[in-house]
This record gives sequence, C-alpha cells and structure tokens, in this order.
Amino acid sequence: MTDYGVEIRRIAQWTMYAMALYALGWGFTPYTPVFAGLLLGGAFSLYNVWSMYQKIRKLGEAAASGGRFMTLGTLSRLAVGALAAVVIIQFPDEFHPAGVVGGLMTPYVLIFFRSLLEVRRL
Amino acid sequence: MELGALAAAIAVGLAALGAGIGNAIIVKSTIEGIARQPELRSSLQTVMFIGVALVEAIPIIAVVIAFLSIF
Repeated sequence: MTDYGVEIRRIAQWTMYAMALYALGWGFTPYTPVFAGLLLGGAFSLYNVWSMYQKIRKLGEAAASGGRFMTLGTLSRLAVGALAAVVIIQFPDEFHPAGVVGGLMTPYVLIFFRSLLEVRRL
Repeated sequence: MELGALAAAIAVGLAALGAGIGNAIIVKSTIEGIARQPELRSSLQTVMFIGVALVEAIPIIAVVIAFLSIF
C-alpha cells in the first residue's frame, strides 16, 4: 500500500475510534439523540472519506499516465449530506441535527488536526 | 417557506461556488505537480486529500442546514 493509502486508512481508523466513543455515549449517557446523530453522521462520513480516496487515487493515476478523468465526486458527497438531512427530517426524535452535522464533520476535523501536525513537522 | 427555500438556495449556491473554485485550484496544482514529478504522486495525493477535505466540509454543512431550513 502506498503512503497515500496508509494515510487514508489511518484517518478512517481514527473516525471509527471516534464512532466507538459515540456509541459509548449513546449507551451510557442521557443524550441519546445527539449520540445517535453523531453515529449516523460518522457512518455517512466514512462513505465520504472512501469516495474521496477513490476519486483522488484515480485522478493521480490519470495524471501520471495521461488518462482521462471526468469528475471528483463532489456532488455525490453533497448528496450524502442531503440524505443525512432527510433522515433527520424523517426521524426528528431519534437523531439530533447538531449531532448529525458533528458526525459528518468527524473525519474532516481529524484531517484538519492531522494537517496541523504535518505543518508542524515541516 | 418561500424565504426558507431562498435561504437554502443562497447557502448551497455560495458554498458550492466556493468549493468549486477551491477544488479547481487544488486539482490544478496537484496535476501540475504530478506531471512534473511523478515520483511524488503519493505525497501530493495526500496533500490533495487534506485540501479537498477541508474545502468540502463547509458545503456539506451548508447542504444539511439548507435542507433543514426548507422542511
């Protein structure tokens, strides 16, 4: 596996650790809708990370070998956000909106802190 | 309802505009870098991933909030 793949795998791993913490919060705290929302958002965000990984890998291959590359998949990732919103609207008692948004942002926050560490290392 | 739809349209539109410009700059720089130095492909892809993730975080929040403001 390339360094890129290892990096993405690490981010997915951290996201799953965060989701494990959310599951603990869902089971052991009274804030069940918030943590259920965080879990839902985390699950959707894992798809987003996977989608970004695949698209950027294919873009790199196309750039190196001179192939064609059409789309980066932004629309499908935005559609995942819309799907999360639809789930919130359908089940307002089970999922808290702030929790779902926080869950969707989990890997992005982790990536942000990871990039800060990279900048510090340089 | 109408104002909610207008707010949603403005939020998603502006966020998508920003994300489009940001992604375009990131992809341009990455492709130029890979074309110049193909051996750096892996590290450039990692940097591109970080950039795309940071750029796309805001439009995803905007889409969720826009949908919630419509319904």
